[in-house]
Amino acid sequence: MSKAPDVILLVDDDAAVRNALKFSLEMEGFSVRLFATPDALLAEKDLPAGACLVIDYRMPDIDGLELVERLRSRGVALPILLISGRVTRSLRSRASSLGISDVLEKPLSDLAGSIRRVLDARS
Amino acid sequence: MSHTSIALALEAAEARLRSILQTVPDAMIIIDERGRIESLSTTAERLFGYDADEACGRNVSLLMPSPYREQHDAYIERYLTTGERRIIGIGRIVVGQRKDGTTFPMHLTVGELRTGDRHHFTGFIRDLTDQQLTEDRLKELQSEVTHMSRFTALGEMASTLAHEINQPLTAISNYLKGSRRLLERMEGENVDMLRDAVSKAADQALRAGQIIRRLREFVARGESERRIESLPKLIEDASTLALVGAREHGIAVTFRLDPGADLVLADRIQIQQVLVNLMRNAIDVMSEGGEIRRLDIATVAGPDDQVEVTVADTGSGLAPEVARQLFQPFVTTKRKGMGLGLSICRTIVEAHGGKIWVESPADGGTIFHFTLRAAADDRETDDA
Repeated sequence: MSKAPDVILLVDDDAAVRNALKFSLEMEGFSVRLFATPDALLAEKDLPAGACLVIDYRMPDIDGLELVERLRSRGVALPILLISGRVTRSLRSRASSLGISDVLEKPLSDLAGSIRRVLDARS
Repeated sequence: MSHTSIALALEAAEARLRSILQTVPDAMIIIDERGRIESLSTTAERLFGYDADEACGRNVSLLMPSPYREQHDAYIERYLTTGERRIIGIGRIVVGQRKDGTTFPMHLTVGELRTGDRHHFTGFIRDLTDQQLTEDRLKELQSEVTHMSRFTALGEMASTLAHEINQPLTAISNYLKGSRRLLERMEGENVDMLRDAVSKAADQALRAGQIIRRLREFVARGESERRIESLPKLIEDASTLALVGAREHGIAVTFRLDPGADLVLADRIQIQQVLVNLMRNAIDVMSEGGEIRRLDIATVAGPDDQVEVTVADTGSGLAPEVARQLFQPFVTTKRKGMGLGLSICRTIVEAHGGKIWVESPADGGTIFHFTLRAAADDRETDDA
Protein backbone atom coordinates (compact mmCIF):
# COMPACT_ATOMS: atom_id res chain seq x y z
CA MET A 1 0.00 0.00 0.00
CA SER A 2 2.75 2.42 0.87
CA LYS A 3 4.27 3.95 -2.19
CA ALA A 4 7.56 5.84 -1.91
CA PRO A 5 7.05 9.39 -0.65
CA ASP A 6 7.16 12.21 -3.16
CA VAL A 7 10.52 13.97 -3.20
CA ILE A 8 10.71 17.71 -2.68
CA LEU A 9 13.90 19.58 -3.57
CA LEU A 10 13.90 22.85 -1.68
CA VAL A 11 16.22 25.83 -2.35
CA ASP A 12 16.25 28.72 0.13
CA ASP A 13 19.18 30.73 1.45
CA ASP A 14 17.59 31.17 4.90
CA ALA A 15 18.48 28.20 7.13
CA ALA A 16 15.53 28.68 9.51
CA VAL A 17 13.06 28.73 6.63
CA ARG A 18 14.71 25.71 5.04
CA ASN A 19 14.60 23.61 8.19
CA ALA A 20 11.08 24.64 9.16
CA LEU A 21 9.72 23.79 5.71
CA LYS A 22 11.53 20.45 5.78
CA PHE A 23 9.96 19.67 9.15
CA SER A 24 6.43 20.59 8.14
CA LEU A 25 6.64 18.85 4.74
CA GLU A 26 8.04 15.69 6.29
CA MET A 27 5.17 15.69 8.75
CA GLU A 28 2.91 15.81 5.69
CA GLY A 29 4.59 12.70 4.34
CA PHE A 30 7.04 14.16 1.84
CA SER A 31 10.69 13.34 1.55
CA VAL A 32 12.64 16.60 1.51
CA ARG A 33 16.16 17.46 0.36
CA LEU A 34 17.56 20.89 1.13
CA PHE A 35 19.84 23.17 -0.88
CA ALA A 36 21.24 26.36 0.63
CA THR A 37 22.22 27.92 -2.69
CA PRO A 38 21.21 27.70 -6.34
CA ASP A 39 24.73 26.47 -7.10
CA ALA A 40 24.28 23.51 -4.74
CA LEU A 41 21.22 22.43 -6.72
CA LEU A 42 22.89 23.05 -10.07
CA ALA A 43 25.80 20.84 -8.91
CA GLU A 44 23.43 17.86 -8.74
CA LYS A 45 24.06 15.53 -11.66
CA ASP A 46 20.64 13.97 -11.92
CA LEU A 47 17.53 15.32 -10.34
CA PRO A 48 15.21 12.51 -9.24
CA ALA A 49 12.38 11.90 -11.68
CA GLY A 50 9.01 12.66 -10.17
CA ALA A 51 10.44 15.23 -7.75
CA CYS A 52 8.91 18.65 -7.18
CA LEU A 53 11.09 21.74 -6.83
CA VAL A 54 10.36 24.52 -4.33
CA ILE A 55 12.56 27.55 -4.98
CA ASP A 56 12.86 30.81 -3.10
CA TYR A 57 12.78 33.87 -5.36
CA ARG A 58 14.93 36.33 -3.43
CA MET A 59 18.44 34.98 -3.00
CA PRO A 60 21.86 36.63 -3.32
CA ASP A 61 23.85 36.18 -6.54
CA ILE A 62 21.35 34.15 -8.57
CA ASP A 63 17.67 34.74 -7.89
CA GLY A 64 14.99 32.08 -8.09
CA LEU A 65 13.88 32.96 -11.62
CA GLU A 66 17.41 32.83 -12.97
CA LEU A 67 17.84 29.44 -11.35
CA VAL A 68 14.66 28.18 -13.01
CA GLU A 69 15.84 29.59 -16.33
CA ARG A 70 19.08 27.62 -16.03
CA LEU A 71 17.25 24.47 -15.04
CA ARG A 72 14.86 24.77 -17.97
CA SER A 73 17.74 25.37 -20.37
CA ARG A 74 19.23 22.09 -19.12
CA GLY A 75 15.99 20.38 -20.02
CA VAL A 76 14.68 19.99 -16.47
CA ALA A 77 10.92 19.65 -16.85
CA LEU A 78 10.05 18.91 -13.21
CA PRO A 79 7.17 20.87 -11.66
CA ILE A 80 8.38 23.96 -9.84
CA LEU A 81 6.84 26.19 -7.17
CA LEU A 82 8.30 29.61 -6.49
CA ILE A 83 8.08 31.05 -2.97
CA SER A 84 8.68 34.69 -2.15
CA GLY A 85 8.27 37.26 0.61
CA ARG A 86 6.51 39.43 -1.93
CA VAL A 87 4.47 38.32 -4.89
CA THR A 88 3.72 40.94 -7.51
CA ARG A 89 1.82 40.61 -10.74
CA SER A 90 5.02 40.99 -12.73
CA LEU A 91 6.68 38.19 -10.73
CA ARG A 92 3.71 35.94 -11.44
CA SER A 93 3.79 36.61 -15.16
CA ARG A 94 7.55 36.10 -15.42
CA ALA A 95 7.20 32.89 -13.43
CA SER A 96 4.45 31.52 -15.60
CA SER A 97 6.45 32.24 -18.77
CA LEU A 98 9.10 29.89 -17.35
CA GLY A 99 6.51 27.20 -16.78
CA ILE A 100 6.44 27.61 -13.01
CA SER A 101 3.33 25.90 -11.64
CA ASP A 102 2.55 28.29 -8.79
CA VAL A 103 3.92 31.32 -6.96
CA LEU A 104 3.29 31.41 -3.21
CA GLU A 105 3.73 34.25 -0.80
CA LYS A 106 5.44 33.70 2.54
CA PRO A 107 4.72 32.97 5.36
CA LEU A 108 3.21 29.98 3.49
CA SER A 109 0.14 28.76 5.32
CA ASP A 110 -0.31 25.63 3.19
CA LEU A 111 2.74 24.72 1.12
CA ALA A 112 1.97 21.01 1.35
CA GLY A 113 -1.52 21.56 -0.09
CA SER A 114 -0.13 23.54 -3.03
CA ILE A 115 2.50 20.88 -3.72
CA ARG A 116 -0.15 18.16 -3.73
CA ARG A 117 -2.29 20.08 -6.17
CA VAL A 118 0.66 20.50 -8.52
CA LEU A 119 1.63 16.83 -8.28
CA ASP A 120 -1.98 15.70 -8.80
CA ALA A 121 -2.33 17.89 -11.88
CA ARG A 122 0.77 16.25 -13.30
CA SER A 123 -0.48 12.69 -12.98
CA MET B 1 31.94 133.74 -4.25
CA SER B 2 29.95 135.75 -6.74
CA HIS B 3 26.42 134.90 -7.81
CA THR B 4 27.67 133.86 -11.21
CA SER B 5 30.24 131.47 -9.87
CA ILE B 6 27.64 129.95 -7.51
CA ALA B 7 25.27 129.49 -10.41
CA LEU B 8 28.05 127.89 -12.47
CA ALA B 9 29.00 125.56 -9.64
CA LEU B 10 25.35 124.54 -9.21
CA GLU B 11 25.00 123.90 -12.89
CA ALA B 12 28.14 121.77 -12.90
CA ALA B 13 26.88 119.80 -9.89
CA GLU B 14 23.57 119.22 -11.61
CA ALA B 15 25.27 118.06 -14.79
CA ARG B 16 27.34 115.62 -12.75
CA LEU B 17 24.21 114.24 -11.08
CA ARG B 18 22.48 113.90 -14.45
CA SER B 19 25.35 111.99 -15.93
CA ILE B 20 25.50 109.74 -12.88
CA LEU B 21 21.80 109.04 -13.15
CA GLN B 22 22.12 108.26 -16.82
CA THR B 23 25.03 105.90 -16.49
CA VAL B 24 24.67 104.22 -13.10
CA PRO B 25 23.93 100.54 -13.89
CA ASP B 26 21.60 100.15 -10.92
CA ALA B 27 18.14 101.56 -10.76
CA MET B 28 18.44 104.59 -8.50
CA ILE B 29 15.73 106.93 -7.24
CA ILE B 30 16.05 110.08 -5.17
CA ILE B 31 13.08 111.29 -3.12
CA ASP B 32 12.53 114.15 -0.74
CA GLU B 33 11.34 113.97 2.84
CA ARG B 34 7.70 113.94 1.77
CA GLY B 35 8.28 110.95 -0.46
CA ARG B 36 8.18 112.86 -3.74
CA ILE B 37 10.42 111.60 -6.52
CA GLU B 38 13.12 114.13 -7.35
CA SER B 39 15.05 112.19 -9.93
CA LEU B 40 15.56 108.66 -11.19
CA SER B 41 18.24 106.90 -13.18
CA THR B 42 17.78 105.67 -16.73
CA THR B 43 17.84 102.06 -15.49
CA ALA B 44 15.06 102.90 -13.01
CA GLU B 45 12.99 104.40 -15.80
CA ARG B 46 13.39 101.21 -17.79
CA LEU B 47 12.74 98.97 -14.81
CA PHE B 48 9.51 100.64 -13.73
CA GLY B 49 8.35 101.78 -17.15
CA TYR B 50 8.01 105.49 -16.25
CA ASP B 51 9.83 108.42 -17.90
CA ALA B 52 11.65 110.74 -15.52
CA ASP B 53 9.27 113.55 -16.54
CA GLU B 54 6.24 111.45 -15.70
CA ALA B 55 7.53 110.23 -12.37
CA CYS B 56 9.25 113.29 -10.94
CA GLY B 57 7.12 115.16 -8.45
CA ARG B 58 4.89 112.17 -7.78
CA ASN B 59 4.96 110.14 -4.60
CA VAL B 60 7.35 107.20 -4.71
CA SER B 61 4.54 104.98 -3.43
CA LEU B 62 3.59 104.89 -7.10
CA LEU B 63 6.32 102.28 -7.55
CA MET B 64 5.02 99.81 -5.00
CA PRO B 65 1.88 97.72 -4.70
CA SER B 66 -0.69 97.91 -1.89
CA PRO B 67 -0.48 97.71 1.09
CA TYR B 68 2.99 99.31 1.03
CA ARG B 69 1.73 102.05 -1.23
CA GLU B 70 -0.63 103.35 1.46
CA GLN B 71 1.90 102.97 4.23
CA HIS B 72 4.98 104.50 2.68
CA ASP B 73 4.36 108.07 3.83
CA ALA B 74 3.97 106.80 7.38
CA TYR B 75 7.32 104.96 7.08
CA ILE B 76 9.11 108.21 6.26
CA GLU B 77 7.23 110.08 8.94
CA ARG B 78 8.16 107.53 11.56
CA TYR B 79 11.79 107.63 10.57
CA LEU B 80 11.90 111.43 10.67
CA THR B 81 10.34 111.52 14.16
CA THR B 82 11.99 108.53 15.81
CA GLY B 83 15.22 108.22 13.82
CA GLU B 84 14.73 104.45 13.95
CA ARG B 85 16.20 102.81 10.86
CA ARG B 86 14.27 99.96 9.37
CA ILE B 87 15.67 99.98 5.87
CA ILE B 88 18.17 102.82 5.64
CA GLY B 89 21.65 101.38 5.45
CA ILE B 90 20.26 97.88 5.93
CA GLY B 91 18.72 96.81 2.64
CA ARG B 92 15.78 94.49 2.19
CA ILE B 93 13.96 92.44 -0.39
CA VAL B 94 10.71 94.19 -1.24
CA VAL B 95 8.14 94.17 -4.00
CA GLY B 96 8.09 96.77 -6.75
CA GLN B 97 5.30 97.61 -9.16
CA ARG B 98 5.76 98.60 -12.76
CA LYS B 99 3.68 101.13 -14.64
CA ASP B 100 1.73 98.29 -16.25
CA GLY B 101 0.71 97.04 -12.80
CA THR B 102 2.93 93.96 -12.73
CA THR B 103 5.03 93.39 -9.63
CA PHE B 104 8.50 91.97 -9.18
CA PRO B 105 10.90 91.16 -6.32
CA MET B 106 13.68 93.66 -5.84
CA HIS B 107 16.49 94.32 -3.43
CA LEU B 108 16.33 97.87 -2.04
CA THR B 109 19.04 99.75 -0.20
CA VAL B 110 18.30 103.25 1.01
CA GLY B 111 20.80 105.97 1.78
CA GLU B 112 20.11 109.35 3.34
CA LEU B 113 21.56 112.71 2.44
CA ARG B 114 20.97 116.10 4.00
CA THR B 115 21.22 119.45 2.34
CA GLY B 116 20.87 122.11 4.95
CA ASP B 117 17.90 121.10 7.05
CA ARG B 118 16.28 119.05 4.32
CA HIS B 119 16.42 115.26 4.02
CA HIS B 120 16.69 113.35 0.80
CA PHE B 121 16.67 109.61 0.41
CA THR B 122 18.35 107.64 -2.34
CA GLY B 123 17.13 104.20 -3.19
CA PHE B 124 19.27 101.65 -5.01
CA ILE B 125 17.29 98.85 -6.58
CA ARG B 126 18.35 95.50 -7.95
CA ASP B 127 15.80 93.51 -9.93
CA LEU B 128 15.62 90.01 -8.51
CA THR B 129 13.19 88.57 -11.03
CA ASP B 130 15.61 86.11 -12.62
CA GLN B 131 17.42 85.25 -9.44
CA GLN B 132 14.20 84.70 -7.56
CA LEU B 133 12.84 82.52 -10.33
CA THR B 134 15.84 80.25 -10.21
CA GLU B 135 15.69 80.01 -6.46
CA ASP B 136 11.96 79.38 -6.42
CA ARG B 137 12.30 76.65 -8.95
CA LEU B 138 15.15 75.13 -7.02
CA LYS B 139 13.17 75.23 -3.78
CA GLU B 140 10.16 73.70 -5.45
CA LEU B 141 12.21 70.92 -6.98
CA GLN B 142 14.02 70.33 -3.74
CA SER B 143 10.88 69.97 -1.70
CA GLU B 144 9.30 67.64 -4.25
CA VAL B 145 12.34 65.44 -4.34
CA THR B 146 12.90 65.36 -0.57
CA HIS B 147 9.27 64.60 0.03
CA MET B 148 9.38 61.87 -2.55
CA SER B 149 12.60 60.40 -1.26
CA ARG B 150 11.27 60.24 2.27
CA PHE B 151 8.20 58.57 0.90
CA THR B 152 10.22 56.09 -1.12
CA ALA B 153 12.56 55.45 1.78
CA LEU B 154 9.53 54.50 3.82
CA GLY B 155 8.29 52.20 1.09
CA GLU B 156 11.72 50.67 0.73
CA MET B 157 11.97 50.10 4.48
CA ALA B 158 8.51 48.59 4.61
CA SER B 159 9.33 46.28 1.75
CA THR B 160 12.66 45.23 3.26
CA LEU B 161 11.05 44.81 6.64
CA ALA B 162 8.29 42.73 5.10
CA HIS B 163 10.85 40.44 3.52
CA GLU B 164 13.01 40.17 6.64
CA ILE B 165 10.10 39.50 8.97
CA ASN B 166 8.41 37.11 6.59
CA GLN B 167 11.38 34.77 6.84
CA PRO B 168 11.10 34.05 10.58
CA LEU B 169 7.30 34.05 10.26
CA THR B 170 7.59 31.37 7.61
CA ALA B 171 9.80 29.33 9.92
CA ILE B 172 7.46 29.81 12.89
CA SER B 173 4.27 28.93 11.05
CA ASN B 174 5.79 25.86 9.42
CA TYR B 175 7.32 24.52 12.63
CA LEU B 176 3.91 24.92 14.21
CA LYS B 177 2.16 23.27 11.29
CA GLY B 178 4.52 20.31 11.48
CA SER B 179 4.05 20.13 15.23
CA ARG B 180 0.29 20.05 14.82
CA ARG B 181 0.55 17.14 12.43
CA LEU B 182 2.77 15.35 14.92
CA LEU B 183 0.32 15.98 17.72
CA GLU B 184 -2.52 14.52 15.66
CA ARG B 185 -0.79 11.16 15.91
CA MET B 186 -0.27 11.42 19.64
CA GLU B 187 -2.63 10.60 22.44
CA GLY B 188 -2.68 11.69 26.02
CA GLU B 189 -4.27 13.85 28.58
CA ASN B 190 -2.94 17.18 27.41
CA VAL B 191 -2.54 16.54 23.72
CA ASP B 192 -5.86 18.14 22.79
CA MET B 193 -5.00 21.32 24.61
CA LEU B 194 -1.54 21.37 23.11
CA ARG B 195 -2.92 20.85 19.61
CA ASP B 196 -5.33 23.70 20.10
CA ALA B 197 -2.61 26.01 21.40
CA VAL B 198 -0.30 25.17 18.51
CA SER B 199 -3.05 25.87 15.95
CA LYS B 200 -3.75 29.20 17.53
CA ALA B 201 -0.08 30.11 17.54
CA ALA B 202 0.11 29.25 13.83
CA ASP B 203 -2.89 31.49 13.14
CA GLN B 204 -1.15 34.36 14.90
CA ALA B 205 1.98 33.94 12.80
CA LEU B 206 -0.18 34.21 9.69
CA ARG B 207 -1.89 37.26 11.14
CA ALA B 208 1.49 38.95 11.62
CA GLY B 209 2.20 38.19 7.96
CA GLN B 210 -1.03 39.90 6.95
CA ILE B 211 -0.21 43.00 8.98
CA ILE B 212 3.14 43.24 7.23
CA ARG B 213 1.45 42.86 3.85
CA ARG B 214 -1.05 45.58 4.62
CA LEU B 215 1.69 47.96 5.74
CA ARG B 216 3.55 47.35 2.51
CA GLU B 217 0.47 47.91 0.38
CA PHE B 218 -0.28 51.09 2.29
CA VAL B 219 3.09 52.71 1.61
CA ALA B 220 3.22 51.45 -1.95
CA ARG B 221 -0.09 53.03 -2.88
CA GLY B 222 -0.15 55.66 -5.61
CA GLU B 223 3.54 55.33 -6.03
CA SER B 224 4.25 55.97 -9.64
CA GLU B 225 2.89 58.32 -12.25
CA ARG B 226 4.59 57.77 -15.56
CA ARG B 227 4.42 60.28 -18.38
CA ILE B 228 6.36 61.12 -21.46
CA GLU B 229 9.22 63.30 -20.29
CA SER B 230 12.18 64.93 -21.92
CA LEU B 231 15.29 63.20 -20.63
CA PRO B 232 17.60 66.20 -21.16
CA LYS B 233 15.14 68.31 -19.15
CA LEU B 234 15.04 65.75 -16.35
CA ILE B 235 18.82 65.75 -16.25
CA GLU B 236 18.99 69.53 -16.31
CA ASP B 237 16.55 69.86 -13.41
CA ALA B 238 18.20 67.14 -11.38
CA SER B 239 21.66 68.58 -11.90
CA THR B 240 20.51 72.04 -10.80
CA LEU B 241 19.67 70.42 -7.51
CA ALA B 242 22.53 68.01 -7.23
CA LEU B 243 25.34 70.28 -8.30
CA VAL B 244 24.87 72.80 -5.52
CA GLY B 245 28.34 73.11 -4.05
CA ALA B 246 30.04 71.11 -6.80
CA ARG B 247 32.07 74.11 -7.95
CA GLU B 248 33.27 74.85 -4.42
CA HIS B 249 34.71 71.36 -4.34
CA GLY B 250 36.53 72.04 -7.59
CA ILE B 251 34.48 69.50 -9.49
CA ALA B 252 34.12 70.01 -13.23
CA VAL B 253 30.87 68.74 -14.71
CA THR B 254 30.37 67.70 -18.31
CA PHE B 255 27.24 66.65 -20.13
CA ARG B 256 27.23 64.50 -23.25
CA LEU B 257 23.62 64.09 -24.22
CA ASP B 258 22.68 62.01 -27.24
CA PRO B 259 20.08 63.95 -29.27
CA GLY B 260 18.62 60.55 -30.14
CA ALA B 261 17.85 59.92 -26.46
CA ASP B 262 15.12 62.46 -25.91
CA LEU B 263 11.70 61.35 -24.74
CA VAL B 264 11.33 58.70 -22.08
CA LEU B 265 8.44 57.16 -20.21
CA ALA B 266 9.08 58.15 -16.63
CA ASP B 267 7.79 59.35 -13.31
CA ARG B 268 9.55 62.73 -13.37
CA ILE B 269 10.17 63.05 -9.65
CA GLN B 270 11.27 59.49 -9.17
CA ILE B 271 13.79 59.58 -12.00
CA GLN B 272 15.06 62.95 -10.79
CA GLN B 273 15.51 61.31 -7.43
CA VAL B 274 17.65 58.60 -9.01
CA LEU B 275 19.71 61.20 -10.87
CA VAL B 276 20.16 63.45 -7.84
CA ASN B 277 21.16 60.45 -5.76
CA LEU B 278 23.79 59.27 -8.22
CA MET B 279 25.18 62.78 -8.77
CA ARG B 280 25.31 63.58 -5.04
CA ASN B 281 27.07 60.28 -4.35
CA ALA B 282 29.62 61.11 -7.02
CA ILE B 283 30.19 64.58 -5.59
CA ASP B 284 30.49 63.24 -2.04
CA VAL B 285 33.07 60.68 -3.11
CA MET B 286 35.15 63.23 -5.02
CA SER B 287 34.98 65.85 -2.26
CA GLU B 288 37.03 63.49 -0.13
CA GLY B 289 40.12 63.86 -2.30
CA GLY B 290 41.75 63.08 -5.59
CA GLU B 291 43.60 65.25 -8.07
CA ILE B 292 41.19 65.08 -10.95
CA ARG B 293 37.58 65.73 -10.04
CA ARG B 294 35.29 65.25 -12.97
CA LEU B 295 31.64 64.32 -13.11
CA ASP B 296 30.49 63.11 -16.52
CA ILE B 297 26.82 62.71 -17.25
CA ALA B 298 25.93 61.09 -20.54
CA THR B 299 22.99 59.61 -22.37
CA VAL B 300 22.90 57.29 -25.31
CA ALA B 301 20.06 55.78 -27.29
CA GLY B 302 20.35 52.01 -27.18
CA PRO B 303 18.70 49.11 -28.96
CA ASP B 304 15.16 47.89 -28.16
CA ASP B 305 13.77 51.36 -27.40
CA GLN B 306 16.04 51.75 -24.41
CA VAL B 307 18.04 54.79 -23.46
CA GLU B 308 21.00 54.52 -21.19
CA VAL B 309 22.12 57.17 -18.72
CA THR B 310 25.57 57.11 -17.18
CA VAL B 311 26.92 59.07 -14.24
CA ALA B 312 30.68 58.71 -14.00
CA ASP B 313 33.01 60.09 -11.36
CA THR B 314 36.77 60.14 -10.90
CA GLY B 315 36.61 59.21 -7.22
CA SER B 316 38.44 56.42 -5.44
CA GLY B 317 36.31 53.69 -6.99
CA LEU B 318 34.60 50.74 -5.32
CA ALA B 319 36.01 47.66 -3.65
CA PRO B 320 34.65 44.56 -5.44
CA GLU B 321 32.95 43.26 -2.28
CA VAL B 322 31.15 46.59 -1.91
CA ALA B 323 30.20 46.74 -5.58
CA ARG B 324 28.54 43.33 -5.43
CA GLN B 325 25.98 44.27 -2.80
CA LEU B 326 25.80 47.98 -3.49
CA PHE B 327 22.12 47.94 -4.39
CA GLN B 328 21.05 45.96 -1.34
CA PRO B 329 19.22 47.94 1.32
CA PHE B 330 21.13 48.99 4.42
CA VAL B 331 24.52 48.64 2.74
CA THR B 332 26.54 51.83 3.00
CA THR B 333 30.10 53.07 2.88
CA LYS B 334 29.15 56.39 4.41
CA ARG B 335 29.52 57.22 8.06
CA LYS B 336 26.14 58.86 7.99
CA GLY B 337 23.25 57.47 6.03
CA MET B 338 21.06 54.43 6.10
CA GLY B 339 22.22 52.77 2.92
CA LEU B 340 18.86 53.12 1.26
CA GLY B 341 19.76 55.52 -1.56
CA LEU B 342 20.95 53.04 -4.15
CA SER B 343 18.46 50.43 -3.11
CA ILE B 344 15.72 52.98 -3.77
CA CYS B 345 17.34 53.83 -7.11
CA ARG B 346 17.16 50.18 -8.05
CA THR B 347 13.54 49.87 -6.98
CA ILE B 348 12.62 52.94 -9.03
CA VAL B 349 14.56 51.96 -12.14
CA GLU B 350 13.22 48.41 -12.08
CA ALA B 351 9.69 49.65 -11.59
CA HIS B 352 10.28 51.64 -14.80
CA GLY B 353 11.24 48.44 -16.58
CA GLY B 354 14.91 49.39 -16.63
CA LYS B 355 18.13 48.09 -15.17
CA ILE B 356 20.77 49.72 -13.01
CA TRP B 357 24.34 48.54 -12.61
CA VAL B 358 27.74 49.77 -11.61
CA GLU B 359 31.05 49.54 -13.38
CA SER B 360 34.48 49.97 -11.81
CA PRO B 361 36.90 50.86 -14.60
CA ALA B 362 40.49 49.64 -14.21
CA ASP B 363 41.84 53.20 -14.30
CA GLY B 364 39.72 54.27 -11.32
CA GLY B 365 36.46 56.04 -10.66
CA THR B 366 32.98 54.61 -10.73
CA ILE B 367 30.39 54.55 -13.48
CA PHE B 368 26.71 54.06 -12.75
CA HIS B 369 24.49 53.05 -15.64
CA PHE B 370 20.75 52.84 -15.80
CA THR B 371 18.26 52.36 -18.58
CA LEU B 372 14.83 53.77 -19.24
CA ARG B 373 12.25 53.01 -21.86
CA ALA B 374 12.23 55.50 -24.73
CA ALA B 375 8.88 57.00 -25.66
CA ALA B 376 7.92 57.62 -29.25
CA ASP B 377 7.02 61.20 -30.00
CA ASP B 378 3.33 60.64 -30.55
CA ARG B 379 1.73 61.99 -27.43
CA GLU B 380 -1.67 62.39 -29.01
CA THR B 381 -2.02 58.80 -30.12
CA ASP B 382 -0.66 57.82 -26.72
CA ASP B 383 -3.34 59.76 -24.93
CA ALA B 384 -6.10 58.49 -27.16
